[in-house]
Amino acid sequence: MSEHGAEHKQPRDAAHWAQPSGALRVRDAPEGALNLNVEGRRVVGPLQGFGRMWQKTYRVRLEGSDATPEEVVRVWKAEFPKLWPKGALFHTPRAGIAPGEVALIGSDRPGSRWIATGIMVLYADDVSFTYICPEGHPFSGWITFSSHRDDDGVTVAQAQVLIRANDPLYELMMPLALHKAEDDQWRHVLESLAARFSVAGCVETERVCVDRHRLWRNYKNIRHNAILRSLLHAVAAPFRRRSNRAKGRES
Amino acid sequence: MPARQLEAAVRREGGTSIIELRGEIDGLAEEAMNAAYAEAEEGDPQVILLNFAEVDYINSTGIALIVGLLAKARAARRRMLACGLSDHYVEIFDITRLSDFMNVFDDEASALEEAATA
Repeated sequence: MSEHGAEHKQPRDAAHWAQPSGALRVRDAPEGALNLNVEGRRVVGPLQGFGRMWQKTYRVRLEGSDATPEEVVRVWKAEFPKLWPKGALFHTPRAGIAPGEVALIGSDRPGSRWIATGIMVLYADDVSFTYICPEGHPFSGWITFSSHRDDDGVTVAQAQVLIRANDPLYELMMPLALHKAEDDQWRHVLESLAARFSVAGCVETERVCVDRHRLWRNYKNIRHNAILRSLLHAVAAPFRRRSNRAKGRES
Repeated sequence: MPARQLEAAVRREGGTSIIELRGEIDGLAEEAMNAAYAEAEEGDPQVILLNFAEVDYINSTGIALIVGLLAKARAARRRMLACGLSDHYVEIFDITRLSDFMNVFDDEASALEEAATA
């Protein structure tokens, strides 16, 4: 039930949000990127997942740098893939980090340790941008990257996630690997960003469980599980190659 | 345009607590939002209604704050409704799929009518 239509003028944040779209569409997937778990998927916020809801905040003070929050976010958007840990691949959309753009993550190159997944840019302005996850991603939810001046006038860069594990398998993996993997990832990104501004930053981390309940009715999310689908895709690769060779001979 | 810091006022109508929000919902609104929610929970209401009629800006951090309140309400088995959203913010609630969990109404009267009949 959604009865709306209150009369208001268009707010100033209107251009910063993605436009509504049912299913994700990847335009011009870059070479080497595997669009296995994004095309046709819907985005999932922190309410559509399965596991406990977590808010995690990673923060670094750029002490000694005179970079403004706007400058930090401009660099963060422009150099996002370079700031990731070695081996993790983020394929920036051709239009850049802009509202509604879809980016692929991972690779189908042999030896890649990352699953094939992606994100949609939900929101972007001069001092922040937010990614939202698709169905099948380890997390349902979003992550907001932002910069601001603290009370001492020092520019701070921050990444804040609000997430649930998307399905029961991911929820099992949270204490075993996913929490740590995520913490390592965003600490690395913030340290790299600080280094970009010639600062040896110390990353602070806060973790809050916003909702301890698991949403059992969402257990079926596992059908989209990107790890399982990526594994199946990898296992089936030799058969696909053989089939393609056979087709090539026939033609 | 100068930022309008969020103000939140709480009042009660029957079994519903209404949080009237005025200003901008962004990272700076956290304290006001959480304080208003805590006050709204006093008296153990079945329904909490967020009235956005006087809200003129919500960014993604603000949406995260609303999700946090919704999670608290659901954990306490309370319904959370919303009213007074402009078409733009109704779209945002759809994109972020908040509207899967929070019914959205044109105005306070229709939201209270629904709260009373549910």
